Amino acid sequence: MKNKQNLSMLLGIVLTSILAIIFLLGSFFGTQDPFYINMANRLSSSSAHHLLGTDHMGRDIFARIVYGAKLTIGLGLLIILLAMCIGLPIGLLSGYIGGKVDAFFMRVIDGILAFPDFILAIAIAGILGPSLTNIVIAIVLVKWIVYARVVRGLVLEEKQKEFVLASRLSYSSTFHTIRLHIIPQIFSEIVVMAAIDIGKIILLISSFSYIGIGAQAPLPEWGAMLNEGRSFFQVHPSLMLYPGIAILLTVLCCNLLGDGLKGYFKTGKRRNLL
Amino acid sequence: MIGSRLSQLFIMIFVLSFLTFLLMKITPGDPIRSILKVDDVSVTTEKEEQLKKEYGFDEPILKQYGEWIINVVQFDLGESLISKKPVSELILERLPATLALAMGGLTVLFLISIPLGVVSALYENRWPDYISRWFALVGASIPSFWLGLLLMYFFSLKLQWLPMMGRGTFAHFVLPSFTLGIAMAPIYITLLRERLITILESPYIEAAKARGISKRRILFFHALRGSLIPLITMFGLSLGSLLGGLSVIEILFSWPGMGELIVQGVTQRDYPLIQGFIIVIGFLIVLTNLLVDLLYMVINPQVQQGKEARV
Amino acid sequence: MKESLLSIQNLSIKTKDDQILLKEINLELNRGEMVALIGESGSGKSITARTVQGLLASNMMVIGHVFYQDMNLLALDKSNHHQLLGSEIGSIFQDYRGSFTPYIKVGKQMVETIRSHYSIGKKEARELSLHVLEEIHLDSKQIFHSYPFQLSGGQVQRVAIGLALALRPKLLICDEITTALDVMTGEAVLNAIEKVRKETGCAVLFITHDLVQAYKRADHIYVMQNGRIVEEGSPEQIRCEHQHPYTKKLCSCLLSLPGENHLQTYQGAQSI
Repeated sequence: MKNKQNLSMLLGIVLTSILAIIFLLGSFFGTQDPFYINMANRLSSSSAHHLLGTDHMGRDIFARIVYGAKLTIGLGLLIILLAMCIGLPIGLLSGYIGGKVDAFFMRVIDGILAFPDFILAIAIAGILGPSLTNIVIAIVLVKWIVYARVVRGLVLEEKQKEFVLASRLSYSSTFHTIRLHIIPQIFSEIVVMAAIDIGKIILLISSFSYIGIGAQAPLPEWGAMLNEGRSFFQVHPSLMLYPGIAILLTVLCCNLLGDGLKGYFKTGKRRNLL
Repeated sequence: MIGSRLSQLFIMIFVLSFLTFLLMKITPGDPIRSILKVDDVSVTTEKEEQLKKEYGFDEPILKQYGEWIINVVQFDLGESLISKKPVSELILERLPATLALAMGGLTVLFLISIPLGVVSALYENRWPDYISRWFALVGASIPSFWLGLLLMYFFSLKLQWLPMMGRGTFAHFVLPSFTLGIAMAPIYITLLRERLITILESPYIEAAKARGISKRRILFFHALRGSLIPLITMFGLSLGSLLGGLSVIEILFSWPGMGELIVQGVTQRDYPLIQGFIIVIGFLIVLTNLLVDLLYMVINPQVQQGKEARV
Repeated sequence: MKESLLSIQNLSIKTKDDQILLKEINLELNRGEMVALIGESGSGKSITARTVQGLLASNMMVIGHVFYQDMNLLALDKSNHHQLLGSEIGSIFQDYRGSFTPYIKVGKQMVETIRSHYSIGKKEARELSLHVLEEIHLDSKQIFHSYPFQLSGGQVQRVAIGLALALRPKLLICDEITTALDVMTGEAVLNAIEKVRKETGCAVLFITHDLVQAYKRADHIYVMQNGRIVEEGSPEQIRCEHQHPYTKKLCSCLLSLPGENHLQTYQGAQSI
């Protein structure tokens, strides 16, 4: 198992580096404007001018993919950060304080968890209208719970361990000892979770955009690009090819890194939410 | 145990529907105006007032909600703002298609994940295991709709073996089901593999070997059965993403199911439809969770017996 | 006349990392005999048993010979070796929680075991199961329809013994079967073993750390320490004429048994 995880880590780093270089270079040195419409040049193939050709509106595909990378990855990170900002404190407090507060939060969380994220996204998109912002809100609202849960579980575990020590130490140092112990424990678990979660979130965002309730045209979000390219599928399949590959490679990076980190931190089987 | 779960879920449905209801009333994008626009009627204040009365929008919120609940219980989910047809009719029309696709996808899921998971566990750290795990890794990274596109491209466009869209013959059924099944498989393969490996190392498997029971029998009747439990739990938890996956694939293959319907509803801001959909889906999820719980009890006798005191 | 059933000759086992698990083990077991293998945890007794059962992990280096009747078990491939399990070589384990698959009823597992060795129908297998359960003084109907977790340790062990009665293996390996049981239940279990021996004439390889039990019931005793056999002999020899310091330690924990004249003082509380 260790072997595979080391391999994953290696591949993950290599792939991430390659993608990062492509995206960064494209971003700083790209000559094309991802939004510039040029109907005369629509649906062209790869050329020196347009590395991956143009789409149905004459826009440079490569530039759009690079822009989409910034969009997608940026949003993925944003969502994770927001989810953690909400979830971690709540989980920490809930676990640490325990008692009625904890019980209350757990009821709320279990209630929300029972409901699928897709429904929530539909509901929010339905009410507030389909847009990228709203989907982001929907996803954050569901994701924070997972983090709260995990952190709470960790806190409870540490509390149990520290309880024994606490009887020997003075009360105030228990607080600090827990703080000192929990943070490193949490760090490894959360990082692994987050890495894999970013991948999942990217898939979610692109799925929602693909069916039209997420990013709207002309935003070059990869899922939205695939949606736009639908009608030209038979004529110019590369419109469907490149954004899809971009999604695949990016999420693959996340999964590889997450898998590799798992081995690195030696976490894994213990933390099963089942 | 089931009772509290049920009540929890029902509460959730109603809270969600109430919130939907509430938010609908206070957000921009006045439904009255959009109805009027759809009907291509010029927007005047009188017309607005008239419609408001018609739809009962001028009454206090709780009353509206109460009326709505009463209707729901009688299976009246209101009318679609856009198509003017009863929501319940629209949903029922599309439900069989979605269920069929779900069944198809689940079948493919079974057919893929169980053999791969078993092979992976039996040949742990040898090449069948590696292939299986890399398949799971890539499978978990690929967007399901893109996978569908690829399959569509090869099997419909290039090879012309299967039709591209719509529903009709069994051939239409193949590609969407496969896409759904393959999209869901990775996580189950990983889970099954892990669980099976743990079980195969347990003392009672060794004891079964020592009793002379054939390895095949041990695998199928002892080991596999034990590993089903987390799979079922996982299934229960992933109903939400099943739904998401269904919708995406329905849109991709123009499969006339509920997913397609609701996405249309969202883009057209068809509130009654959205609300009705949430209720129906919520109900279906409660039902499925119940079934999963029951299944769980059957497979895991320890739950059944409540770990009784010793005989 | 004595007929050799199991003959372990110069058995040595090393792990991949050159850790020595067993060194030159020699052990003889004749038909119908009860041989005890005594030692503390880690002395290698279970590994010896596993070698006979063919349940050793595959990355071990094994040299020597293990003859069952006239077959060298070590020369057999895994599937042939496994065919002996149950019908020729029976096993009863310590971890009674791990003796049967937890989520399948005991009766079903008994029938399954019996039908793996005899080609008889489900009904007859069921009859046989109920019969042997009765023989071991268990409430057959109740036990048959129970799950393993609903039974006590002693009951589970006795079910396993009942299976031995049904399958009539020539060699029964009992690996620390009473260790997790209280004294009374342990005695009941060992009596059941006696019964099986009497009725089927099988030999028993009795692995334990309890010298008292070995002394009471075995025909021959082997003492193991750190993967080696340090002493062997009849119970009296072990008790009174032991040479090895380890055996001395073991014996010093023996309280005097009823019916004995000379008292043994026990020096210090040396837990085995």
